[in-house]
Amino acid sequence: MTFLARLGAPVRGFLEFLGDQVHLVLRTLRYGLLLRLGQVPLVATQTRLQVRFTGLQALVLVSGTALLLGAVTLIQAFSQLSGLGAENYIGVLMVLIILRELGPLLTAILVIGRSATAIAAELGAMQLNGEVDALAIHGVNPYQYLLLPRWLGVLVSVFALVVFFDGAALAGGFLVAKLKYGVTFGFFMDSVRQTLSNRDFAATLLKVFLFSGAITFHACHFGLGIRRSQTEIPQAVTRTVVTALVAVFLLDGVIAALFYF
Amino acid sequence: MIELRDLALAAPDGRLLLEGLELAVPRGGRVLVTGASGSGKSRLLKVIAGTERPVRGQVTVAGRAVWPGDGALALIGHLCLGLAFAGGGLLSNLSLRENVALPLRFLGLPAADLAARADGALDRLGLLAVACLRPHALSASARRHGNLARVLALDPALILLDDPLEGLDSEDRAAAQEVIRDWLQDPEKTLLLAQEEPGPFQDPPWIRFAMPFPLPPEVP
Repeated sequence: MTFLARLGAPVRGFLEFLGDQVHLVLRTLRYGLLLRLGQVPLVATQTRLQVRFTGLQALVLVSGTALLLGAVTLIQAFSQLSGLGAENYIGVLMVLIILRELGPLLTAILVIGRSATAIAAELGAMQLNGEVDALAIHGVNPYQYLLLPRWLGVLVSVFALVVFFDGAALAGGFLVAKLKYGVTFGFFMDSVRQTLSNRDFAATLLKVFLFSGAITFHACHFGLGIRRSQTEIPQAVTRTVVTALVAVFLLDGVIAALFYF
Repeated sequence: MIELRDLALAAPDGRLLLEGLELAVPRGGRVLVTGASGSGKSRLLKVIAGTERPVRGQVTVAGRAVWPGDGALALIGHLCLGLAFAGGGLLSNLSLRENVALPLRFLGLPAADLAARADGALDRLGLLAVACLRPHALSASARRHGNLARVLALDPALILLDDPLEGLDSEDRAAAQEVIRDWLQDPEKTLLLAQEEPGPFQDPPWIRFAMPFPLPPEVP
């Protein structure tokens, strides 16, 4: 019996975790819909702060990473495909590798590293200091004041960062294509446009929505789960990073299977 | 206003602090909870406020089931409640004035009323000069008074005070006592005060409740 209990404990723990995530999402949605008009400016201010931290302050990092990635992808591709008319595959390479897959995925990874960790640590410290309790007691719904703005802020930021990531990666790719093969901007963009389909836009939007939800609610779950001491904060941050990464990779796989398999 | 049925509380280490507590507090009632440090006074207040789950029992506040139930969320929008914490409780990324004003902003009060109530409460407790500072820059007694100022500005129907005079110098203590005495004279306010000793508040007809002496934790 003890052996069976030990065997079932991780499964039970995983199901509890999933249940808690669903609970957090549904409650945030519910209380988001119940928000009164007078409370909207307060939530908007918190959302703006989250967008500034998650989106604006990460813009240079994300754009720089994307610029280099776009350039390196084409340098590697050209080094393998030289002589086989590699310039004809520019659009395919850029769309398949960068826009479809690496854009949303790497953006999510950077946001997990920068913001999910910060959200988990901040909420954990607030929980320990009794700030979350104080909010709820004094009529400030924590779902509306803490979770909803973080979700909206991360959603807006991930969307904007993916757009900037894709733009910068295309710019990096174009620079290499121009310097190596003298490809014109018109030819480069036509090549990308011919490969890009509406399905890619739909898949990217779905990824942005699901990734931002996974990132925010993993961070909130582990941050708000802190109860006893400061030493739990780094543990919560580590768990946030690991589980959010797993969730993002799983979601990416499911979306790829749904859209392209 | 408050109904506790067969309530049992436990310490974080699992020790039972209280068992089978039955208590009914009418609207306008005053309850004085006394007990030694570690006996669970703060825990009892938090259970009533809906932020700590009891081991067992039912908590109903203003006719709404707090436990078993959604805790503090069950009271939002139905009852104006204030708790002056013994420690912490102020948002560290907001100034003292913003901390006091936040619940009022969430209630949707007009900006002029909001500023008047927040500054009025801060002024009464002598905190106007430090209203722009964040909690980390305040002294311990100013943080404690900040908690009291938030409750004062909110003007709630149910007031829970967790050792509000502890660690205050004579001047701060006098200011806090004056605020609490005003609440005690208001028949509309239900007040629950937790202190180690009854202290200066002996006069009103309190419902007195002494927490059992806490058992020491078991040594493994």
